[in-house]
Amino acid sequence: MTGFARRLAGKLATGLVMVWVVVTFTFFLVHALPGKPGDVQYEQYIMMGMSSDQAAAKVQAVYGFTSHDSLLSQYGGYLAKLAHGDLGQSITYSGVPVSHLIWSALPWTVIPVLTGLLISFLFGVIGGIVAAVKRSSRWGGLLTVSGSLVAGIPAFVLALLMLVVFHTEWNLLPDAGTSDIQYDPGWNLPYIGSVAQHAVLPVCAYALLSYGGWLLAMKSSVVSVLGDDFILASELRGIAPVTRARYIGRNAILPLFTVLALSFGVMFAGSFFIEDTFDYPGLGDLLLKSIGGRDYPVMAGAFLLITVSIIIANIIADLCYTLIDPRVRR
Amino acid sequence: MSRPKPLVAAIAVATIAATALSACSSSSAKKSNGGGGGGTGGVFTSIDANNKITAGAPMNPFNAAPNMFLGYNEMQMGFSKYDPSDPNAMLPGLAASWTSSDAGLTVQLQPNAKWSDGTPVTVADIKTSLAIAYTQGTAGPVASAGGTVVAGSNFEVSDVKDLGGGKIEIDQQPGVKNLYFQRLVLSAYIVSDKVYGSQLPADIWSQIAAVQGSDQSAAGAAATKLSAEGKTIAAFAPAKDVSAGPFVETRVNPGEALLDRNQYFYAANKISPKQVILRSYSGNQQIWGYMNGGELDYAPYTSMPTNILNQVLGAGYTRMDAPSYVSASIAFNEKQAPYNLTPVRQALAYVIDRDAVTKVGEPVGGIAAPTTTGLVGSQSDTILSGDQKAALNPYKPDPAKATSLLQGAGFTKDSSGKWHLPGGAPWTITLQTVNGFSDWIAASTIVANELTAFGIPTTAAITADFATYQKEMAAGKYAVGWWLVALGPQTDKAYARIYGSADGFSVSNGQATYNDSAPTNWEHTPQTYTVNGQSINPGQLAAQLSVTPVADQQPIIAQLAAATNQELPMIQIWNYTHVMFTLDKRFTNFPKTGQDDLLNNPPGVWMMQGYVQGK
Repeated sequence: MTGFARRLAGKLATGLVMVWVVVTFTFFLVHALPGKPGDVQYEQYIMMGMSSDQAAAKVQAVYGFTSHDSLLSQYGGYLAKLAHGDLGQSITYSGVPVSHLIWSALPWTVIPVLTGLLISFLFGVIGGIVAAVKRSSRWGGLLTVSGSLVAGIPAFVLALLMLVVFHTEWNLLPDAGTSDIQYDPGWNLPYIGSVAQHAVLPVCAYALLSYGGWLLAMKSSVVSVLGDDFILASELRGIAPVTRARYIGRNAILPLFTVLALSFGVMFAGSFFIEDTFDYPGLGDLLLKSIGGRDYPVMAGAFLLITVSIIIANIIADLCYTLIDPRVRR
Repeated sequence: MSRPKPLVAAIAVATIAATALSACSSSSAKKSNGGGGGGTGGVFTSIDANNKITAGAPMNPFNAAPNMFLGYNEMQMGFSKYDPSDPNAMLPGLAASWTSSDAGLTVQLQPNAKWSDGTPVTVADIKTSLAIAYTQGTAGPVASAGGTVVAGSNFEVSDVKDLGGGKIEIDQQPGVKNLYFQRLVLSAYIVSDKVYGSQLPADIWSQIAAVQGSDQSAAGAAATKLSAEGKTIAAFAPAKDVSAGPFVETRVNPGEALLDRNQYFYAANKISPKQVILRSYSGNQQIWGYMNGGELDYAPYTSMPTNILNQVLGAGYTRMDAPSYVSASIAFNEKQAPYNLTPVRQALAYVIDRDAVTKVGEPVGGIAAPTTTGLVGSQSDTILSGDQKAALNPYKPDPAKATSLLQGAGFTKDSSGKWHLPGGAPWTITLQTVNGFSDWIAASTIVANELTAFGIPTTAAITADFATYQKEMAAGKYAVGWWLVALGPQTDKAYARIYGSADGFSVSNGQATYNDSAPTNWEHTPQTYTVNGQSINPGQLAAQLSVTPVADQQPIIAQLAAATNQELPMIQIWNYTHVMFTLDKRFTNFPKTGQDDLLNNPPGVWMMQGYVQGK
């Protein structure tokens, strides 16, 4: 257990360094983007009928807190605030804390991503085993083709297809938002039902997007395990097929656990297309809006969260692998 | 393999149950809430195109992106009629009537004006709201980055007095004469003193007096203080909505906002919908989807292809058009040759077929600009005389005239039909536009084809986003690009869009100063034009417009229109039309095309005037 603690401490230290590197890179990257936060809003005020003087004055008043300090000094201030857990204030939503915006958006990314990922993992792994064991049959072939097909479709194409079929054509599922506004948010059945209904399309999109990868990886892993000596030995010993399948499954699934943990983090980063298509107000949607409005604090906060989630997932994957595969501990 | 089975089963059952449950509960709830109109209420569903809903944003009209909706729960004393012949013309809001004088404005509040908590709207609310406007940079001078005080074309209130009986005197700062004082004051956001008053310091009006005073250092300090207070006000998040409008916000989720009828609204008997649902949207396509399903009672303007228009009309929608006072134009950076030559810009105007471009670029919401004057057609038609209009060159497509103009300027055409600059170099154009501006992008393709066919190889280039576009345009990176002009019914503001900061002119008290190297100056037009044998300074004329009473503006506008038409600092391609749609299934008595004063306002304002009744 001491070894595990040492290992954990090492991973956390490495993770912190990685976070610092990414925070630094992100900070300078977002500030290098052309255009100031007020530029876009200035044009919108003009369009709303303000004179150029008035629009400039309003921008100066509302967006005037864009710092005039040097970039290095801003970076120092940002790190100091970050160390105290302060992500700063939004520019687009004049003065609203970034943490407030991120916390508002986070559940609408975490829940669909986790649900979609778990569903895809479950179906992908089962499908992969079947596709490997029955690889010479029609069903095995069909499963493999289904995996290759969905793995090759880009996220936005798949999301658009689902939107057209299930909302526009058949009108079975809502296309936007998280719930019906007429229900009181809380632990009541109508609201939970409405949230579930609105989440069906994003969750299915996430699930379909990663299902193919799981299926093909599992199939390949199972096929590899099938050729191992211990499987031949178990067959020769007359061990029951169900038990043999358990041996195969346990050994084949090992590499997939690492990828599963990493996928949680990666899918946060890849939620833009899905959230944009379904107008689902998660972290990806918030990040897209903040980029459009040059909202540096929100951009930095969202990037930070994505980075941290990937790093944490990485550490968990590493540690889990240590636990489930004795060979790694040696 | 035995253990995963219950898990799979549990997940499958839970998923199916949740979906079934949601399907049942949604349908039953929608029935009980009666999406319909009806004499006693119903749900009016729409989209606020200017304000996307964000769950994390506060219910505070002074935030840059608030969950507040004009005409529903965001109130003003009056709402602009957008009348080009009288920009001060207003529809009543919280003010039932008003009289204007040189000293300011006397307002009679609606006799029953109340907040949604049942308390009356008083002079304290008006005073607090106008003081907040100072902190937001919309009412008075502001602190610039350099610490100096910048005077804008703001309304500069110096005092708010209670005359009793709901009558309020609002004084304009002595010595300041803003032609649009009435419109600017009446259209300021009015919020409850009880909710917002505590956010202001007790000495706010002393600060306002200081910023208006002659002591420059005191004014600078006060402006900085006001600006800092403005940021606090903008970030303020009231716990609940207290509105003096026809509706009050009950709930916002990330996709929709729900507003309930305000029983204390001064004209509650005129308001038919019991609830308003405002939906969020990610793009035009989503709005079209809602319309095809008949889900929106009012749909805002969206750039819409003809086949989509036919679909929504087929779904039962009625189209209404009103002037929009915005024109899509192709602008030039005259610092870059050959666009510094007037014959070149004129030749390009003769090549571009604006009708053809409009058909592709903006087939529904716009009409090809008949002339380039700096104003939209409805404005110039109203203001210019018959002779003045007849003297304008419409630049009808005429390749022969374009050829003659270019040859006269020393351009040559080679054997392959390609034009060369006077120095002999081949002439190519990069027409710049912005990602996401679908109408500009579509139109760019047509313009590029037309110019290429004429012998000037033209490429349509796209900038990643608008912030980058503005920065690069200001940096002089584009020689030819799209731009919006003719903004608003106020002619001085329309001309300030051309002969203002983007052209190196800055205005103070009706006087313009010119700086060719100003950081925002990307047009670089000459400071003066010679029009009909007379030298004019368009920046000075535009500045003069801002202090000239509307009744006396005609001669100045005629000069500016003639100069713009001759010199073409930009070519107006199409004038946008404010197109909107209403659905007559659940509600009726919508305003109709021609009632522009109403149609240029949101449906909440229509309701205040007695329109939109349940069927």
